[in-house]
Amino acid sequence: MQDLTFRVQRYLPGKDSKPYMQEFTVPMRQGLTVLDGLIYIKENLDNTLSFRSSCRMGICGSCGMLINNFPMLACHTPVEELNTDTITVKSLPNFPIIRDLVADLDPLFEKHRSIDPYIVMAETGDLNKLTAQFLQSGEELQSYLQFAYCVKCGLCMAACPTVSTDEFFLGPQPLCQGYRYCTDRRDTGAKQRFEKADSGHGVWLCHLAGACSEACPKGVDPALAIQLLKRAMVFDSLRLRKKPEPATPAQPIAESKPKIEVPEFTVKQ
Amino acid sequence: MTTNATSGENRHLPNRLGIKGWIWGGNYTIERYLYTLHRITGLGLLLYITLHLVMNGFRLGGAESWTDLMSFFSGPGFKFGEYLVMAAFIIHALNGGRLILQHLGYTLGKPKPPVYPYVDSLRRRRPILWIMLFIIAALAIYVLVEFVT
Amino acid sequence: MRETKLKILQYITGIALFFFVGTHLIISHLGSEEVTEWTSVADRAANSGWLVFYIILLLFGLYHGIHGLRTIILEALPRLSVKSLDFTLVIIGLAIFGYALYIPVSAF
Ligand code: SF4
Ligand code: SF4
Ligand code: FES
Repeated sequence: MQDLTFRVQRYLPGKDSKPYMQEFTVPMRQGLTVLDGLIYIKENLDNTLSFRSSCRMGICGSCGMLINNFPMLACHTPVEELNTDTITVKSLPNFPIIRDLVADLDPLFEKHRSIDPYIVMAETGDLNKLTAQFLQSGEELQSYLQFAYCVKCGLCMAACPTVSTDEFFLGPQPLCQGYRYCTDRRDTGAKQRFEKADSGHGVWLCHLAGACSEACPKGVDPALAIQLLKRAMVFDSLRLRKKPEPATPAQPIAESKPKIEVPEFTVKQ
Repeated sequence: MTTNATSGENRHLPNRLGIKGWIWGGNYTIERYLYTLHRITGLGLLLYITLHLVMNGFRLGGAESWTDLMSFFSGPGFKFGEYLVMAAFIIHALNGGRLILQHLGYTLGKPKPPVYPYVDSLRRRRPILWIMLFIIAALAIYVLVEFVT
Repeated sequence: MRETKLKILQYITGIALFFFVGTHLIISHLGSEEVTEWTSVADRAANSGWLVFYIILLLFGLYHGIHGLRTIILEALPRLSVKSLDFTLVIIGLAIFGYALYIPVSAF
């Protein structure tokens, strides 16, 4: 099998004034992912190369990089799929570079936190004091399940044209998570999230370029979530939004006789 | 916003694409570039309207100054400019119509559990886009023919 | 929800402009050459129906254009204060509106 050329972005703060590209030759083997290639470089060619990864199976969202000009998870990208022998790997754009391929995802996490990404329960009371689970239909589950698959990798933020200039724009991931909780029937915090998404740098700076959904490695479709959030906000501000009934907790299971008679000796003794 | 969400940029090398990222951000498909086109046509129309309003001022000068102005603007270069304005309007209006519909969640469908290979809702509804582009092209050609004849 | 309301207006003016600008362009660019002649222009200027048409066109067009420009400025210069930007744009908008309104009204 042919050798591959990895063009990797290098940047060491304090030493380099700006990032530069360095080339490595990596032997191809079947099933090699871009992350495998980087690990090969680190183990055999240059142990100063820095990148971040953990699960190596597209679960943790650590290894987001710009691979051949498209944001992708390095562990999730087999080299064969790229259809080329030259692989350009850069740090995720729109995020500050800590070193080499390691992007600082703090801005993402801060914004994610700022949109209240948890179930807010004003009417139904404290989540910790509940005595039974909530009832939820399959349809209600479907309304947010897709958005709940987000692994916070930040690829969508790297793809979004608005994030590329506006550091305050909330961005696809946080807005998508905002909607994910607004549409959950257990939640009563939609209003407070609407207020946050309504800022000058909120949901209305999304122009449906759809790049976020295209880049998302988990099929989350943040662009869809954001449009549904806009719809909910428009309907809400026109007072047309139907207030969803808060979810009802299941009744505690009544004391009842066991269905199958239990032989005496297994209970006594 | 009160978060220090940009704090990283003070500590590390900012790596924002900047305005360049509006025009070309990577290997994306069509909506990403329609977004750029919408922005360019919008700015173009705004510029034209400003010029148009200034031109209107010549009406205050009476029949003579108006006729002078109109004959000044009758050259082929200006004719072409006029056509570009029409084309920009057609693009901006139709794409804008699609954007309003889709911003309000219409024609996008419902959330679906992601099953590999993932297809997002915009791509699932691509035919809508093709129809829109077809109408834009048809109208632009029609107007061109009208202009030439 | 201020931004949402501004955006709803953007949508409404957008839909209205589709028809208003469409009519305006069809009449003045696709019609016969005479529409831009002085007599024809003066004729329309003296008609109250056209006056209302032009004022609505102007108002909606200005709102739609300036709101769009505001979005672009907010994205390009995110550190700008939203309040002072809005203030500036409203002043500019009112000035253009006043100037542009003066022409047809004075000719009416
Ligand atoms: S929405 Fe997708 S691309 Fe964005 S952070 Fe979540 S998993 Fe990553
Ligand atoms: S759909 Fe919105 S959030 Fe997603 S990339 Fe486009 S502008 Fe950004
Ligand atoms: S290493 Fe966990 S997602 Fe790639």
